[in-house]
Amino acid sequence: MDQLPTEFDVIIVGTGIVESVVSAAASRVGKRVLHIDRSDYYGGQWASFSLESISKLHEEQIERKNIINSSHIEHSGISEFVELGNKLFDIKNIECTWHVQSKTDTEQSKESTEMNDSDLIQNLVPNEEQHTQETVTWTKEALLKESRKFNIDLVPKLQYARGDFVELLISSNIARYSEFRSVSRVLTWLNEHLEVVPCSRSDVFSNNKVSVIEKRMLMKLLTSLEDVEKDLSGCKDKTYHNYLKEKKLTPNLIHYVLYAISMSDNNTLCEQGIKQTRRFLGSLGRFGKTPFLFSMYGSGEMPQAFCRLSAVFGGIYALGQPMKGLTISENKFKCLLVNDQKLTAEHLVLNLEHAPKQFVDLKKLEYISRCVLITDRSVMSSEKEHLTLLLYPPENDKNSVIMIELGTLTGTCPKDLYLVHMTTRQKTNPKEDFLHIINNIFNINHKDTESEKPKVLWVCYFSLPDFLSSDVKQNVPDNVFLGTGPDIDSDYDFSVKQAKEIFSKMYPEEEFLPRAPDPEEIVIEAEDEEIEDKDMADKQTDQKDEATDGEVKQKAETKDTETKQKAKTQDTETLENVEKKQVDH
Amino acid sequence: MHAITYLRNMASRKKTLLKVIILGDSSVGKTSLMNQYVNRKFTNQYKATIGADFLTKELTVDDRTVTMQIWDTAGQERFQSLGVAFYRGADCCVLVFDVTAPNTFKSLDSWRDEFLIQASPREPENFPFVLLGNKVDLEPRAISSKRAQQWCQSKNNIPYFETSAKEGLNVEQAFMAIAKNALAQQNSTVDLYNEFPDQIKLTNTQKPSGGSGCCQ
Repeated sequence: MDQLPTEFDVIIVGTGIVESVVSAAASRVGKRVLHIDRSDYYGGQWASFSLESISKLHEEQIERKNIINSSHIEHSGISEFVELGNKLFDIKNIECTWHVQSKTDTEQSKESTEMNDSDLIQNLVPNEEQHTQETVTWTKEALLKESRKFNIDLVPKLQYARGDFVELLISSNIARYSEFRSVSRVLTWLNEHLEVVPCSRSDVFSNNKVSVIEKRMLMKLLTSLEDVEKDLSGCKDKTYHNYLKEKKLTPNLIHYVLYAISMSDNNTLCEQGIKQTRRFLGSLGRFGKTPFLFSMYGSGEMPQAFCRLSAVFGGIYALGQPMKGLTISENKFKCLLVNDQKLTAEHLVLNLEHAPKQFVDLKKLEYISRCVLITDRSVMSSEKEHLTLLLYPPENDKNSVIMIELGTLTGTCPKDLYLVHMTTRQKTNPKEDFLHIINNIFNINHKDTESEKPKVLWVCYFSLPDFLSSDVKQNVPDNVFLGTGPDIDSDYDFSVKQAKEIFSKMYPEEEFLPRAPDPEEIVIEAEDEEIEDKDMADKQTDQKDEATDGEVKQKAETKDTETKQKAKTQDTETLENVEKKQVDH
Repeated sequence: MHAITYLRNMASRKKTLLKVIILGDSSVGKTSLMNQYVNRKFTNQYKATIGADFLTKELTVDDRTVTMQIWDTAGQERFQSLGVAFYRGADCCVLVFDVTAPNTFKSLDSWRDEFLIQASPREPENFPFVLLGNKVDLEPRAISSKRAQQWCQSKNNIPYFETSAKEGLNVEQAFMAIAKNALAQQNSTVDLYNEFPDQIKLTNTQKPSGGSGCCQ
């Protein structure tokens, strides 16, 4: 295998979303980037996994940490050696359980295939009735056979159609590496039932659960909140809940606006609530019926899209690299030790997970509770497959929960199955944080064979650090920057903000992710046969030296006027709902 | 008005988009082959695919207009770091080796396996691969036609072409075969996403009506 080049402008360790955005931005303006990860997959704590690999998440994490501990390195000369990695931000409370039989052998004794406590599978022997209804009886074996059809996000994200992230994808042209699906309905749990939340004007009017008077009230409120110029002084020191109450909305309407549309809870301050309501309203009507987009094949695709752009602009990618540590001298990062190589760069960007523990000053750490289910049907049956967002309000001592239900059309689970992601601010532990929802909406023990509720076939709980609510101070050398991990927000805006900050600290003069030219705009000049062909292989190792800033920029030069014209004509077009690969019959 | 434009677009877009990905070791000429085919240009200067992303070419196959999108590895293959996203939705996989470099031939098995694992096509045994032995203009030759063909036969008869990206030799023919195989693959498999083709590509467009659909 090739040796890695040894000199860079910036070395980026970790392929989470923050690091990937920084990588793309640096490569885009011609910096020499090495983007490196200890794992052999992209995304770190932002990755999507197959069913088989997420089941091994726990083991992998232990294994990885052991590697950190076993490496002993001597100090060398004046520079100080620092080991990479810490255990501060590990994924915790991982517990995956099968709720199906191992195999389709009805004689087989009911067994749980994994160590677990009491709530194991109950009666799963298919009865006659189910057979006549052609119900598929899933087994562990059958599910694992489809393992790679699952793309199970650690951190599932929804993008607001007019949010900063979507705008960034479009303006940078990174959108070409990804496809999305629109969330097709928003549900909430109201009066012990699942209800459709009226999002758009037509939804409001077609909704038969909302009275005519309520419709008027709701439209009036939403119209008034949409007005950005509106004075918010009447809003001071008040919760959004109280503000809505003062507007004399009915309890149901308050529920829709507070818990669903603005994704707030009872303590959300008025100003914040209005901001979030506007964010929702402002993203309606761009790409589908609701304001939200979900990335095809899972959120783990997003870091990869940015990495692709980085690679296209010369970023060097090396996954699965054993990294020993780094050296520091005079409060500056000097070099990264990878295999037997010493790699140098002006700047180093590290994911917090990879950061040496002395770089991190942890004041407060909050967690996100996560629960992933595989189910046999949707939470609300329908003729067509929906991509559902369900906002479950806070209840008694439980926090509000965001649930995303994905069908096979999202490329994240096999046919006839649904993948359900639940996310909430952790209160006690994931199992307890979601227990009430599982009991209300799902059929987990399969006790009730008549039940219309989705049967849970597999469940996985875990806790992720929430960098949005945590307080992590950085204690780093001058030229080192730390990228944050997951956050509780529904989209990537927090991460993009972090990435922008890191980029502008490293390169204050440079533009952040200017539009990348379309492939057709890149002129490839033919050359005469001057260079000996045998040189070609040799050049590979030092290609980076060849590709000076100027050259990259020249390559990336867009035909300005043409581009602008193009953009202009596109303005009049409708959204492209691309019929990819539509076959002419 | 709006709806009419949209319907018209739908009708005129009744053409096929084929996604083709090119795999093989570094410096076997993947980018050069693409460039030769699409731009009819060749450069000897090795740039480890900076700026190489994907190229698009329209062509006619059996009286049908198809758009072939050929995706380069963007250099991410160099340290075995092609992510799974790269493989999504491929209709044909082109494997390339350098006929003067035996190691690049030896890697073919692992590239093929990697593709089948990552892309996990519905029918792996029938998924179309095409093999290109590139740089036939160079001496000395290390891998004979016969040896390459034997490999192809052992893999369910993969079509094989000997090409020179530099001289444009066989490049056109090879990509025509690639397009045909990709098209056959698309026609034979019931593609779920074709039945429900409403995935969204983000473009720089907004609805001309503007504003939110909610309250106006």
